[in-house]
Amino acid sequence: MAKVGVYVCHCGSNIGGVVDVEDVCKHAETLSDVVVSRQNLFMCSDPGQEIIRQDINNGLVDKVVVAACTPRTHEPIFRKVLEGEGLNKYLFEMANIRDQDSWVHANDKAGATAKAKQIVASAVAKARNLQPLEDKYVDVTKAALVIGGGVAGIFAALDLANMGNKVYLVEKEPSIGGVMAQLDKTFPTNDCSACILTPVMVDAGTHPNIELLTYSEIDSVEGYIGNFDVKIRRKQAYVDWEKCTGCGACADACPAKTPDAFNAGLNNRGAAYIHFPQAVPKKAVIDMTHCINCGGRKIGSEPKISKKTGNPILAPCEKACPAGAINRSVAVDEGGRIMDVKVGAIVVATGYKVMEKENFKNLAPDSPNVLTALQLERLISATGPTGGQFLRPGDGKKPHTISFLSCVGSRDERHHTHCSRVCCMYMIKQAKLLKEKYPDLEIYMHFMDVRTPGKDFDEYYTGAIDMGINIIRGRVGGIDTLPEGNLRVMGYDSDLAANIEIDADLVVLATAIELQDDIKPFAQKLSLTLDGSGFFKELHPKLKPVDTPVEGIFLAGCCQGPKDIPDTVAQAKGAAASAAVPLSQGRVRINPTISEVNQEKCSGCGICEPLCPYAAISMIENVAGHPRARIEMTQCKGCGVCTTACPSTAIQLYGYTEDQIMAQICALTA
Amino acid sequence: MAAINLTKMDKKEVIQKVIENGGTGITKCIQCNACASVCPVAKAGFPLYGRLLFRKLQTGHFEEIIEDSSSWACQACNRCTEICPRDAKPFEMVFAFRRMQANELAISTSAFTPLMNLHATGHAVYSEASKDLRVSVGLSPEPVTSISSEEAQQEMRTLLDNSPMGELGIF
Repeated sequence: MAKVGVYVCHCGSNIGGVVDVEDVCKHAETLSDVVVSRQNLFMCSDPGQEIIRQDINNGLVDKVVVAACTPRTHEPIFRKVLEGEGLNKYLFEMANIRDQDSWVHANDKAGATAKAKQIVASAVAKARNLQPLEDKYVDVTKAALVIGGGVAGIFAALDLANMGNKVYLVEKEPSIGGVMAQLDKTFPTNDCSACILTPVMVDAGTHPNIELLTYSEIDSVEGYIGNFDVKIRRKQAYVDWEKCTGCGACADACPAKTPDAFNAGLNNRGAAYIHFPQAVPKKAVIDMTHCINCGGRKIGSEPKISKKTGNPILAPCEKACPAGAINRSVAVDEGGRIMDVKVGAIVVATGYKVMEKENFKNLAPDSPNVLTALQLERLISATGPTGGQFLRPGDGKKPHTISFLSCVGSRDERHHTHCSRVCCMYMIKQAKLLKEKYPDLEIYMHFMDVRTPGKDFDEYYTGAIDMGINIIRGRVGGIDTLPEGNLRVMGYDSDLAANIEIDADLVVLATAIELQDDIKPFAQKLSLTLDGSGFFKELHPKLKPVDTPVEGIFLAGCCQGPKDIPDTVAQAKGAAASAAVPLSQGRVRINPTISEVNQEKCSGCGICEPLCPYAAISMIENVAGHPRARIEMTQCKGCGVCTTACPSTAIQLYGYTEDQIMAQICALTA
Repeated sequence: MAAINLTKMDKKEVIQKVIENGGTGITKCIQCNACASVCPVAKAGFPLYGRLLFRKLQTGHFEEIIEDSSSWACQACNRCTEICPRDAKPFEMVFAFRRMQANELAISTSAFTPLMNLHATGHAVYSEASKDLRVSVGLSPEPVTSISSEEAQQEMRTLLDNSPMGELGIF
């Protein structure tokens, strides 16, 4: 005979304000095997937990039901109470009478109370049938994978490496650095972005525990926390990095032209190129999709021999390379090569991109003098296409009047409903930098509202006003092109309550932050989910901000949502700390609420195998040579799909066994 | 109404004029509307109350609003200055605008007689009705103010002639 204790929580007024807790408590006492039923304002508080402790300690109860909030946040708390008193922690059942009752039926107190009684009865029915379960453990590979070499990935990698873990830092571009490397200066201190980032990039590049894998992508991720098997595709660089010294001679010699993504397309680079001057590692690559195969000679074919000299006619890149790192005669695998690594934890720090101006047909995107803010960033950067000279792309003239447009694609249901969070501040930064350098510049900034929620942010903003930068409240509807490449910005000043126009010679669009176009297939490789705005979804917005639904995979930086550099670095360090937990524990717990196949009952039909979303089921042969299903415990997540599908009821999901579920259904339908 | 082309407005000139006339906080105003929330001018329904006046001035409007009489409804209560979160001293800006209006003679015609009285007698408003009453109780017919002192009147005229008002040519 089970001795079930029922503990009903008021959750302040969350439950108590709707549900008659007293009544639910009394009802619980009438249920079979319930020996005691108690209530508390907050069962999760220390005094609340103490009530349960004493009842277990006094031998009064041996199964515990807490009727309260969600097991997602609170089940571990109460399980720990059982464990502390020497009771198996899986002899606990939670009845959610808040999220699934008082919150949704706030206007029907009687109905909510009746429903609470049913939910409690169902939990008690299950609790009576609970069996003790034992945690299982597996060893952990003491290495981490960091995906993305922007400021988030670099900091996560450095922290993990400094804790003594082997770290693989994977970056799809030839160099680490990410978007921060493209920025000129950073708000609200106007630190030079390169000056503060470059030394950290070098640290990451030279750290003995970090293996830098740039120009690489994730091919596949298998396995589970503690033991992920990762295939990394090292893209074909067509340059021997062992020999390349990063001199840039090949880039100078290359006659091909393609927009330079690092300079946000403001100028062209060759097919042979070095990512940017401070690149880490500073290695050249040949972008074969834009290579023009000089002399009609494809890669992997022998050069023609000059009739005059008798010497081979080499491609300009081959010829220019003083280190002999480029040999186009050698046939190499275009797909690069696959590298297998085994890691215990993964930090995803894949960053973001900004929307292109072409998405906004009303804002004269075809004008070369309409720029995205990232393009302006490159235009004013000392390493940018003009060497930091502020000249507009259309005709190389120095601008006199600039309009900045905020919320372009953000807070707009036609594009993104989210606020991109950093645009107000970086626009103010750009305006201030320009105004400081060119005081005669007339600057207009169009805002819906100015969002400056950060340390020293509002002071930074009011500083811009004091400098004479014109702030206009109101979104811009359109831009007309004027002769000589100028632009007429058509807006509204809600403070004047009047339509306004600005005749600008340069317009800057603060386009929305979003994730890369190919993020969905990448997310699928890692079984990660995206939120409503298209960013990676964290496990809990407040309490698990760097965790994901996949144990052992953590998030850092803008891939989780738009954020500035300080927040990105903080989150990266948080993700590194969380990823270090399993690595330093050396072993990870496997939840015992997973499925197992009863080999005696299994008919070997194989229905379950393709159904498993985690590829945890394989068909093996038993001693008699018959096929039987087997579940790999480290991969099973306990979803129960196989259990319900099995025609022989051979699969048992511990913690959700058939008799437990049936008892719950009976209680609910009684 | 046609759109206002902000690039063609004389913003610098107007702002400079406001500052010269004492409205030094004009560029600090962030249009938060705190001043308007306590302003008797706004409450009485005058169209060009504090915040809106400052926005017009910031964006280079002066000729367009010079004839508006809202500023003369200011009671000088100073509540706007007490509440302003930017310490822009809105009250000073209203008075700067008044001075700018007065400099262009954009003042009510009913204000001219009192001003001329002030210049002539030292009193903007002076009534002779109390003369008999004063004599009946043994006082001098005129009070002992500038009205009975040619010297004081001269001093007042000197002050006014040398003030910005003297340049208006109304005396």
